[in-house]
Amino acid sequence: MGQDLLPPLLSAPGVETWAFYILTTLSICLAIAVLADRVVIRSGFILIGVFGTISGIFLLLSAQFLALAQIMIYAVGITLMVVIALMLTNPRLEREQAVVYYDENLPPLAKIFASCKRNLSLWVSVLSFVTLYSALIGENHWPLSDQPVSPDAVKVLGEALVTNYSIPFEFSSVLLLAALMGAVMLAKGESKNRDDDNVAIVDEAKKQENNLALQR
Amino acid sequence: MFANGDEIFKISRLTIAWLTIIFTIVWMVCWGVGIGLPMLLTQQLGDQANLANEILRAVTPVIAILVFIPINAMFMVLIERRALALWTVRKGPNRVGPDGNLQTAADAVKLLLKEDITPTGADAAMHTFAPILFFAPSIIGAVPLLAAVTNDHPLFHILNLPTGIFYVLAAGALPVVALVMAGWASNNKYSLVGGLRSAAQAISYEIPLVLSLVTVCLMAGTLDLVKIAQQQAGGILNWNLLGGGALVGLNQAIGGGGAKALEAAYPMGAVSYVCAGLLVCSLIISFWLYLTGACAEINRIPFDLPEAESELVSGYNTEYSGMKFAIFFLAEFTNLFVVASVTTVMFLGGGDNPIPPYILDKIPGIPQMVAAIRESFLCQNLHLINPETLFATLWVIAKVYGLVIFAILIRATLPRFRIDQLMAFGWKRLIPLSLIVFIIVVFAREFVNIHG
Amino acid sequence: MQNVVTVKEPQSSVNLALVYALVAAAVVGSYTGQLSTAAGIESIVTNHYDFWACLGLALAGWIFRSVGGHKGVIVTMTVLASFIILTLSQPMLLRYLTFAALLFSMGLYGMVQSRNAVRVLLSIELMLNAVNINLIAFSRYVDPVALKGQLFVIFVLTVAAAEAAVGLAVVLAIYRSRQTVDMDKFTLLKW
Repeated sequence: MGQDLLPPLLSAPGVETWAFYILTTLSICLAIAVLADRVVIRSGFILIGVFGTISGIFLLLSAQFLALAQIMIYAVGITLMVVIALMLTNPRLEREQAVVYYDENLPPLAKIFASCKRNLSLWVSVLSFVTLYSALIGENHWPLSDQPVSPDAVKVLGEALVTNYSIPFEFSSVLLLAALMGAVMLAKGESKNRDDDNVAIVDEAKKQENNLALQR
Repeated sequence: MFANGDEIFKISRLTIAWLTIIFTIVWMVCWGVGIGLPMLLTQQLGDQANLANEILRAVTPVIAILVFIPINAMFMVLIERRALALWTVRKGPNRVGPDGNLQTAADAVKLLLKEDITPTGADAAMHTFAPILFFAPSIIGAVPLLAAVTNDHPLFHILNLPTGIFYVLAAGALPVVALVMAGWASNNKYSLVGGLRSAAQAISYEIPLVLSLVTVCLMAGTLDLVKIAQQQAGGILNWNLLGGGALVGLNQAIGGGGAKALEAAYPMGAVSYVCAGLLVCSLIISFWLYLTGACAEINRIPFDLPEAESELVSGYNTEYSGMKFAIFFLAEFTNLFVVASVTTVMFLGGGDNPIPPYILDKIPGIPQMVAAIRESFLCQNLHLINPETLFATLWVIAKVYGLVIFAILIRATLPRFRIDQLMAFGWKRLIPLSLIVFIIVVFAREFVNIHG
Repeated sequence: MQNVVTVKEPQSSVNLALVYALVAAAVVGSYTGQLSTAAGIESIVTNHYDFWACLGLALAGWIFRSVGGHKGVIVTMTVLASFIILTLSQPMLLRYLTFAALLFSMGLYGMVQSRNAVRVLLSIELMLNAVNINLIAFSRYVDPVALKGQLFVIFVLTVAAAEAAVGLAVVLAIYRSRQTVDMDKFTLLKW
């Protein structure tokens, strides 16, 4: 944890590997839990655990500042998301229903195709992983450097932010400001007298949907 | 004039006795684990003990914190109840033990023996995990402060992080999650509202809090807590509370540097003096901003809306009992202590003596006393007391518990905010004020030579 | 359309899944044993054993699942075992990159699969974090002095925060007009 203790501890041959595998195992299990949990709010809380382990991985990569920033930003950010989710859903009643539709009278081969179609997102993600992994294996000749990360990384980052990277820095601050204002504008409650119009619009949309369904 | 003289005397006696007990125990544990045991091991085993010694030294700070937190919380509950009784003209705890001093011990035993209930329909895992997540960051956040408050004692040197204050802030951001989690997992509307309120409040008040600390870091030029504490050495004029180093030149001038020191510190003449004055004002405002924001972060009165008894039947911890409630309780007092320590390190000079050395050395008796302590048996053979650490720690204890008493006084004085007042105060007053202070400091510090 | 029926989740057996977990652990163990000798590593690289082992595990998992094993345990074990098999023979940088790729794919899955808009946002956060791991790993192993990767992570964090804020506001606005956060019903832009 301290600058005296950590580097020699990590430079011991097995330690980084062990720490890496422990952290990634935890992280993968928690990430699967995030995706699989029926209750959105709980999966939000679990996601904080995922980010905690990822910040542990940042520490392994000696990016202390970013590990802390990660905790600080995401702890609050995800809490906000969870709060919004709380406002939008009834946490007890509206669990995401897992309804599986399938046709029992299909021939076996068609059944397999139907199951492939049902699990399309799984295929997409597996394919993306295979693509990424084969790209990594194919590209595996980066000019690796043996130097350790400089102990005053915070200073390096700060200096770069106000010298070479000052324009992106300014732009990102402008972006944040714009996003803040946009979010406030979007989320601000509309005035009372427009509510009737909204209801009318919703009704109109529902009617349209029904018509389309009938046409099909 | 002193109608309560008797009561005040009792409280002071209680404070001194308890603090002596707490810090003797903590220091004995630290010494035993970090110095005594390694010495013994080296005598018995020779070089084989090196690895074990390293591990022992590494875990010392954590053990120190873990020993310190429960006894400290017990003391703080007691002192809070007695002081509130004093200021609201009541009798405090007065049944258990002499003067009611064993009241909190009895309360702790009662809490630990209570049945632990999880309400029907509650999310049991989250319900259990929330107190843990609330308590853990207060330990984690307290750890890097140890090196700063003990004047970089070698035992705690391990914890001296280059991103110290950022680490404390990151740890301080986590309890919000725990409160929302506790509120949601309790399956109780009041708890849920308490959790949501705490989220809104913590997010709003974190901005002025962080900005006021950033102002101090800007003056200090580092995030390292030990460096920030050491920069402020040399009397009250060097503290960050008074200009974050803007008055260092003045201090040197009074201390014997004369006009030359003034010239070096304030190169632009009148402009520099005006800027130094601005800096002093800004940093004092920052100090109050930090105290206000911290008060809101740790849900102390007047910002204790998440657990308002009269509105929310004590909010997120309504459904907790037994051990889990005890952990919440413990964590709240630990947070108060951590906040007071951060204030001490960032604004009040850490372990620094408020009286500058050039005055202190002229007081008869004091240099001799310091020398006597340095020569004494305890410092020499057993390394039982490190003189630099001893004086620093005494000052830190005085400052931290002074701030704690101040928080209790505020609790006895002010009523609770209403939620809309709270939000308006945070967003319309504190945040603009902290931004203005920040901008003033950015420009004013260019005209003054800070920290030599 | 009339043949569509709603089926409950099939009865799942944790014991069966645990048998599968044992199988996966055995595969990983034998693979680790292979790695201890230079000849073993050689044969792994030339014959692509790691790839075949992953495929075999996935197939076995599918079979165990169709017989009625517990889905969560099987999926977790398959992912973990494949991850360990794929990374163990690699240098450190590639391990981090593979981990990031895995997280990214998981985020992609969540983003495409979920029907709740809030969960979609959570999955996007997961993907952004995977990108951050990539950048930091490169800055650690390729560019440890100038730390450009870490700089970019700062920008990614900023943009992620802005994205989350605007995304949540959009979800809130849609909820206000449609009374739902189900992605299937967000058909405003369909025509």
